[in-house]
Amino acid sequence: MTGARRVWLYAVSRRVPFAVLAMAACAIGLRIALLRHWDDYGALQLPLIFEAAAAVSVVAAVPGPFGEPERVAGHWLPLLRLGVTVALTAAAVGLLAAAGIGGHLAGGTLAVLRNVAGITGLGLLCAAAAGGGLSWAAPAGYLVAAVYALYTQWHPPALTTPWLWPARPSHDLGGAVCAGLVFTCGIAVLTVRGARDRPGDPAES
Amino acid sequence: MNVEITGLTRRFGSVAAVAGVDLRAGPGVFGLLGPNGAGKTSLLRMMATAMRPSSGSLRLLGRDPGGYGPRREIRRRLGYLPQSPGYYPGFTVAEYVEYFALLKEVPPGRIRAAVTTAIEAVELGDQKKARLRTLSGGMLRRAGIAQAIVNEPELLLLDEPTAGLDPQQRVAFRALLRNLGQRATVVVSTHLVEDVTAACAQVAVMDRGRIVFRGTPDGLAASGGGQHAGDTPIERGYSAVLAKARS
Repeated sequence: MTGARRVWLYAVSRRVPFAVLAMAACAIGLRIALLRHWDDYGALQLPLIFEAAAAVSVVAAVPGPFGEPERVAGHWLPLLRLGVTVALTAAAVGLLAAAGIGGHLAGGTLAVLRNVAGITGLGLLCAAAAGGGLSWAAPAGYLVAAVYALYTQWHPPALTTPWLWPARPSHDLGGAVCAGLVFTCGIAVLTVRGARDRPGDPAES
Repeated sequence: MNVEITGLTRRFGSVAAVAGVDLRAGPGVFGLLGPNGAGKTSLLRMMATAMRPSSGSLRLLGRDPGGYGPRREIRRRLGYLPQSPGYYPGFTVAEYVEYFALLKEVPPGRIRAAVTTAIEAVELGDQKKARLRTLSGGMLRRAGIAQAIVNEPELLLLDEPTAGLDPQQRVAFRALLRNLGQRATVVVSTHLVEDVTAACAQVAVMDRGRIVFRGTPDGLAASGGGQHAGDTPIERGYSAVLAKARS
């Protein structure tokens, strides 16, 4: 009971319920988009936009309002960050994958998992380096690069690096490893250090 | 001794915010005075385990906060209110204080009583269910103090705790400080010398990262003589100590 209350108060202070609503909106948007008929070009790029938006919803729930008093209040905070962020990422993947059921979701659930996890990892690293308020910057920048990489699939020379995983097939091992690595690094850094309150602030010790 | 500091230094680039501070403090209220930029906040942040020292030795509650295990134990028994704490506006006062009680591992059976005691100690009992967004600056400050004391800390660190409090609240707060100081080490950083006179048994004056005076408030007042700026003896003593340190 105490543990559940701790998680709930942590989640509320991070506006997690709003993050879940935003993810649900992304899933609904994707579902509506999938009702239409898209060419290959749009069919690949549209899900990526919703996946990036869902990832931004996850990282937007990372920074906290309490600052140093919370950071020096016992040992629970890293565990709360880890648990809530992993749960939110799983929720984002689940909602988007559910939105794709019965529709033509390019790359399928595997691509959703890879893209959301990888872009979330970028956002977490950005939050740790530049501050929670700028956590959207890396996912937004990466989205532009990934959309361009998809564009080059039809307009050679194609960008084929596995670090631009959305442009790789969903079963591609290199892309999956890169996305997984970025997510693992992001979640590890977030768990240990947390998001900076402001870009100039020293990180947590 | 709950606080044992030897040669503590903290550098930000080429600037030494804290430059070789030695300090020991046991139970009681300890005042930290100094002008802006003297290093009070940096010293308090290191004592709160929020920032690592560049060099020197720091022992809190008999432990070295450099190690994970000792730091965890120190944090469980620590209360900290920085100069500008953050608040989640949607929390009620009770939820805010309860959240910190849960983080600080207050035993589950004692959380409700601890939250009530802390809120009543800062005279916010009537606003227990009020959202933080509806509180005045002074009330928010008191809510911040409540979160700092909810775990009955053995080491309480308060940075400008009376900023924003009205005169009546400040008088009540000084009484609370004296009460807390009977069983804990309370370190209060402040610009307000009257807080030190009323509540502190010991005082240190910091300037340019160093401690330039250490003694009792009466001792600080006696340092003043008649020719230094200030309306009260302790203000004149404070001015005299700073002038001597800078000469």
